[in-house]
Amino acid sequence: MIEAVERLVKLLESENVEWEVFYQFGRSGSFRIERETLERSQRKFYSGIGLRVGLKGRLGFSYITGLHPGEEELKKLVERAVKLAKISEVPFRGFPAGERVNRVKGIYDRAIDEIPFEEAHRLALEYAELMREKKGEETLSGSLSLAVGTSGVVNSNGIELEERSTYMGVSAYAVLSEPPGTGSYRQSFTSLQPVEELERAVEKAIDEARLSARARKLEPYSGELVLEPNALASIMEVFLSNLYGDEVYHGRSRFSKPGEVIGDFSLVDDSTLPELPGSYSFDGEGTPGQRTLLVEDGTVRNFLLDHTYASFLGMESTGNALRTFRSVPYIGTSNLILEPGEESLEDYEGVIVRKVFGEHTANPVSGDFSLTVELGYVVENGELKPFKDNMLVGNVFELLRTLKPGRKAERISSFVSPRGLVEGRLV
Amino acid sequence: MASHIKVFPFMPCGGSMEWLIKRAEELAGKHGVDYYEIRLVKVTSRRLVMSNGQLRELSSNSELGIGARAFNGTWGFSSANDRERFEKAIETAMKIAKLSRGDAEIYLGEPVRDEVELKVKKPFTEVDIEEKLSLVKEIDGLLRGEKIVSRTVNYGDSIVETFYFNSLGSEIRTVVPRIRLGFSVTAKENGEMQDFWKSFGGTLGWELIEGIDLHYWTAHVKEKALELLRASSPPSGEMDVIADPELTGVFIHEALGHAVEADSVKNGDSILAGRLGEKIAVEGLNVVDDPTLPGKFGSYPYDDEGIKAKRVEIIKDGVLVSYLNDRETAEYFGLEPNGHARAESYSHQPLVRMGNTYVEPGDWSFEEILEEVKNGLYMLGDKGGEVDTANGTFTFGAKLGYIVENGEITEPVRDVALSGKILDVLKNIMTIGNDTRVEFPGYCGKGQWVPVDDGGPHILTRALVGGLR
Repeated sequence: MIEAVERLVKLLESENVEWEVFYQFGRSGSFRIERETLERSQRKFYSGIGLRVGLKGRLGFSYITGLHPGEEELKKLVERAVKLAKISEVPFRGFPAGERVNRVKGIYDRAIDEIPFEEAHRLALEYAELMREKKGEETLSGSLSLAVGTSGVVNSNGIELEERSTYMGVSAYAVLSEPPGTGSYRQSFTSLQPVEELERAVEKAIDEARLSARARKLEPYSGELVLEPNALASIMEVFLSNLYGDEVYHGRSRFSKPGEVIGDFSLVDDSTLPELPGSYSFDGEGTPGQRTLLVEDGTVRNFLLDHTYASFLGMESTGNALRTFRSVPYIGTSNLILEPGEESLEDYEGVIVRKVFGEHTANPVSGDFSLTVELGYVVENGELKPFKDNMLVGNVFELLRTLKPGRKAERISSFVSPRGLVEGRLV
Repeated sequence: MASHIKVFPFMPCGGSMEWLIKRAEELAGKHGVDYYEIRLVKVTSRRLVMSNGQLRELSSNSELGIGARAFNGTWGFSSANDRERFEKAIETAMKIAKLSRGDAEIYLGEPVRDEVELKVKKPFTEVDIEEKLSLVKEIDGLLRGEKIVSRTVNYGDSIVETFYFNSLGSEIRTVVPRIRLGFSVTAKENGEMQDFWKSFGGTLGWELIEGIDLHYWTAHVKEKALELLRASSPPSGEMDVIADPELTGVFIHEALGHAVEADSVKNGDSILAGRLGEKIAVEGLNVVDDPTLPGKFGSYPYDDEGIKAKRVEIIKDGVLVSYLNDRETAEYFGLEPNGHARAESYSHQPLVRMGNTYVEPGDWSFEEILEEVKNGLYMLGDKGGEVDTANGTFTFGAKLGYIVENGEITEPVRDVALSGKILDVLKNIMTIGNDTRVEFPGYCGKGQWVPVDDGGPHILTRALVGGLR
């Protein structure tokens, strides 16, 4: 426990309240490349302490930034949180009690933590150089970021946990003009990656831009089509709020309890997977991370829950309380996995949609969506005919009823999914 | 009567602002940095969220942070929120700039010394949290109704105080108050669910809240959610679409706004690169971005590079006349700097962003526009949008609509997203209404979120409608 938190805990122990301290500190280095030239480099530091107090069934929350508060500043933090608990009327459902936490492997890499900034900067220059080598007619841009962060939870039920994790993010973007085409690639990791990973990013973006520049609008189509993991991620985003415990509790979900049959696929949230960027050993209120079967063979089995909404719904927390020191816990996914199925879709011939955009214009409550196709292609006798600018339209609940997952999964940051066969419509 | 919002003195590092300014100068000398700019930002904010009569959040917070940039042909940036690290953040930014030497240039200009507070009639800081809580409760009560299964009310206000200084000797202090209120309902019938919402916001005080007819707007939100339950999905395909002022706002934000952000243009990421002076839209179309409009949600007096915000004519009579720019792109394109570099917070580097973007009025009345449509849609409201500026394709969402047949509004249709190509759609605008409104606050994302407003009159154009029929 850091020194400031120790002092804060001492102050809290003399108050007649239940309390929880959540703290974070860390740093990041990130680099932005435009037109194959390193243009912006930055190094950021952040730290802060969030305090929740429970008093007579009411919750108060406040935070401070920095880890070097004076005694007066700490006293004021406690006073503010207690005062808000007195007037706030936000219901307080207790804090989690300590459960055994199993440490997730491979989410911290010393090589990222200890890399000198100058060396990270050299890696970014190397990335830009690599773009210059690989480029044809394309204009290339991209980013590279490295971060290390520590978060900790201490509460009046005896929880005292701390975890350090590292992150590496890579993105590449390629643009062709006349005719226009764009390609992008994005991936994140928990450990320092070799240069080959940067090469891969650039190559993928270039390949996609070339495909995109050849793409034309497809005639309206209705029927069987394949969604690549990227497009499935967008569809899942439209659907997913229906599984958020707070949305369920407040009547903004299709579901009021588990049990409904919605298709024939399995969807899992799993924060315990080694080396994945969405993994953690415990969540933002100290509940151990876990594997949660959200949808099992088509039946809704569970929701994404934190301690508070689990309590409201008479369920158990699934360890999905995400957090920053600036906020009270909010519900979110860790790593989302669409389980592979039986369909062999690697050599699928027909209509394939790779990427769509505009998810936030969709309606998660009615399920209606109309998403613009950034890139798709038709495969005929092994030949690729790309298309774009159509819209993929439908209702997410109807579409998921037809979903048949493929066999081979691919990871896009913290989303792991195979291709999926669906009945869909392109206009 | 206008009144002031109290400016709190910054006291970083246990020392004075003068000390920090002097220290930055010394560090720049030590590291051989020519240009630097530093923002100290204090944000004070309050937020209340209530769902179904139950309070979900009541917070009142304040924080102070620093963002420091140094330029050496490329940018070095560092930020911190621990006062012990403020000085180190400045030095880190300078060290990074030294490490990075590039060959870009920036507009410098004359030093500016100024102090601006956006004035409000009734500061929300003088309204106590209990009164804000009773407002939220009152609205929650008004939203109750038959078939309404969920209600949410969201109130937020913030004061952002920024002290900006740079190596030219600029020292600018700004105070920007911002207030917002939104409420939504979800209606349910026979297993079908629909929602509807309304947002208000501005760089205003409590007078914004006092000016809202809560009875009218809560009834409106409920009525529209129920109407959506009865509505069928719109048809699909390319067709004539009348956009209401709110939908025109998101339309122009996506169809034009992002593609004229000069950083995208410079980086080869905009289909409008190289088209200044070119006719890209119909005659009579005038599009403006104006962060100086009083009280709007996207308004600000100076941008985050210490450049005074300016009204920019983007399209004049169908011709692309300017890009929105920052210090670097103004120099690059040889344009007059127009103050559109905005950062989400002290810990973000400014990017070229919109403020309040709108289509200026034409001379058609709504009735005249309606008469033009034989077979099409009248779509209303803003559900957000997204654009691929390099491909030139964009999407924008409408909250609901109606079928139009022979100039008559007929059956209601559901919310839907529409899509278009930048270079086609601006030329496909057939009529421009005379009823411009800019009062549709929102947040725009470009890796960072900033508050914006947009709007326009009713317009008639052609777009690809993603309906299910």
